[in-house]
Formats: sequence, structure tokens, C-alpha cells
Amino acid sequence: MGAGSSSGLPDWSGQWEIVGVTPSPNGGFDESLDTVLKELQWSPPNKPALQAKIDKVVAAEKKEMAAVLHGSDPGGAVTACTFGYPMVMLDSPLMFEILATPKETVLIFSSREIRHVYTDGRQHPGKDDLWPTPWGDSIGHWEGQTLVIDTIEVTAPSGFENSEGTAVVAFGGIEQMELVTYLSPAARFVERIRMIDKDHLQDQMTIIDPVNFTKPWRLTRTYKRETHIHRMVYEDCEGEDRNPIVNGHFTLSPPPDEAAPQPGAKNAASGRSSPKQ
Amino acid sequence: MSGVVNCTLVAIAAMLAASPAPTHHSFTMFDQSKTVTLRGTVKDFRWTNPHVFIQLLVKDAAGNENEWSIEMTSPEHLARAGWWPGTLKPGDKVSIVIHPMHNNVKGGQYLSGTGPNGPLIGAPPATAGQGR
Repeated sequence: MGAGSSSGLPDWSGQWEIVGVTPSPNGGFDESLDTVLKELQWSPPNKPALQAKIDKVVAAEKKEMAAVLHGSDPGGAVTACTFGYPMVMLDSPLMFEILATPKETVLIFSSREIRHVYTDGRQHPGKDDLWPTPWGDSIGHWEGQTLVIDTIEVTAPSGFENSEGTAVVAFGGIEQMELVTYLSPAARFVERIRMIDKDHLQDQMTIIDPVNFTKPWRLTRTYKRETHIHRMVYEDCEGEDRNPIVNGHFTLSPPPDEAAPQPGAKNAASGRSSPKQ
Repeated sequence: MSGVVNCTLVAIAAMLAASPAPTHHSFTMFDQSKTVTLRGTVKDFRWTNPHVFIQLLVKDAAGNENEWSIEMTSPEHLARAGWWPGTLKPGDKVSIVIHPMHNNVKGGQYLSGTGPNGPLIGAPPATAGQGR
């Protein structure tokens, strides 16, 4: 990984994670919402009409969260790991690698999401040839050791579409999930990514959304290089049947014993038939 | 690791209608108000997406051996926390702290664990930076 000194590009090899989201074996993270907000400089300049919509969404989400916490709603689960852009850069628990070459820099996430940033001088496709995707269309250039990225045509990942557009969410605490804002399809993103010391990258992102925002929104996220692993590990959110909903509640159904697979055999813990692999 | 935000994934799950942030599965089936320590023998360490499981054989007060299913987070997250497929092997004697299931199924959410001599299981190596 890394472009090496011969290209003059910086060495961004290794695995990177957002500072503060080192996972715990129980599924939690160690970053508080306050820390998230401070790091992100959370202050989306929402236009009044957007803010009114957000307030309604927040109220509905709080109600749903209360139901989850009280056990009357099993909560959601998904069968894909796609965060999409810009969330995958701003508040994702997924690690990633960066492959920097003279013509293109590629960001590869553990969920197999990939950002292609073309640095060969090309422009975005013409208006008639653009189409929205969860990662948008990115072009970039190097200013010394800083990668400058311009991204347009971003839409919400499949399964997360809603009438408000692409969402940016700050999470960190269970009671404070109301920190969300929405971006219109017209949003443009300018990032400046650079090393701030030998093991930390910083992404200074500016979101320009003339439809939803009153002015550009500048955010910052810092990534640290993993120090005790040196290879990517595949993340896969599929496997809903490992936690089947029974009587309105999730329960356990661990994967079958691969050493002695018994198709159709009853699972020792749950009494269910073992799910297919 | 702090438990400050150990329900983060549950919270994200609840935001599905409004946000793009995906998650694995809800942890609401675990009783977050109860903590149980299981001492037993590893039957299997199932390193698989989306969640890793420890199958643990535990003797009850009557001497009967029961199999517990202990759910952890994903392989990707565990690797970053210092775990790998070879961290536990069948026959290992361990002590595991869990939040048990609400419905009395013998299972729970992994919180922490120690090996036979007391060291934390899965802690990152002291020689950080050398990889593995």
C-alpha cells in the first residue's frame, strides 16, 4: 500500500479508523457524542424549512427509540453494510485503507465500499452523463502532501432513501440520536486530506448545499492508523437469521458448528433449525 | 473499553428510517440490567460474520453441563480490539462476563473475559505497531 517515495506521494499505508470509534468486543465504541460533535464542529446551517422537517423526524425517532429500549419494538437490522458518502468518512465504525497512485487514489472500506478519486486531471462527467450513487463522483488533485477532493452526485444508499435526502448523522450516545441533517442532491463536497502527524490523517470537509443550507458547512474528522493489525478484515452485515425475531423480539441463533454441519439440525441454544451459511 | 456508548448499534438501528447509518443487529434481547459471570470450557469459537459467537460449556449447580451461546461483535471490530480466530480454542478454560438473554435462553452479550490465569482475553499485543 502507499505510493512510495518514488511518486512523491505520501505514505498512507495501513488501516485507518476514525479517532474514537475503536470497537469494543461487546459492540460498543468509546467515543461520546460530545466528542463527536466537537470533532465534527457540528453546526449544520439548515434553512428554516429543513429544520422544521428535521424536528419532525427527531420526534418520531425518539418515539421509536423509546419503544426499542422498552422492548416493545425489536429495533432495526439491515442486510447490507453500506454507509455511503459522506457518512463513511464522518461517523462510520468501519476501518479503511488508502491506495494513492499518481492517477487515482482509492479508499477501500471493510464493508467493501470503495471511493475512487481520480487525480489525472479529468473533470466530472457532463451534466447529461451524471447519475447519483451513494459515493458520488470524485475528482481530485494534490497540493503538496494534501489530497483535495471534489465530490458531487451523492444519493442515499439503497434501503435508506427517504424524502429528506442524504442524511448526515452524528452518533455516539443512545439518548442523543437527534443529531441529523439532510443534504439535497445538489450538495457538493470539498475535502482536504492530509497527515497531521505520522499516524493521523485529517479530513477537512466543506459541504456546499444551496438547497438546504444557508452557507457552506465545514466539518473535520481525524483518522488514526491501526497499530496492532496490518490487514483488512471483511465486514458483512448480512445474516439477519442469526438473530431471528421471535414474538417481537430478537433472539439468538449462532452459526452451526462448521466442523460437523448438520443441515436441518436443531440449534442447541435456540431450538431453531440452523440457518444456511 | 468504556461502556459509555455500548448501545450505539442499537441506537443506530433505530435511526434506520431517517439515516444511512447501518448496523448489525439489535442488542435489545439482552438484559442490560443484569451481569452474569460464566466459568466454563470453550466448545467452539465461531469466527463468522456478522457476529462472532463463543459456545461455552458451563456446569450448573447440579453438575449438569449446559451449552451457552455468547454473542460478540463482528470479526472486523474484534480484530481491531485485539481478537483473531485463534484467540480462543476448544478446551480453553475461561471466565466470561455477559448480559444474559431476557427470555432465559442460555445465551448472552459478551462484555469481558479472562483466561485460566486471569489475563484479559483478546487484548492487543504490547508490541503495538508490529502487526500480526
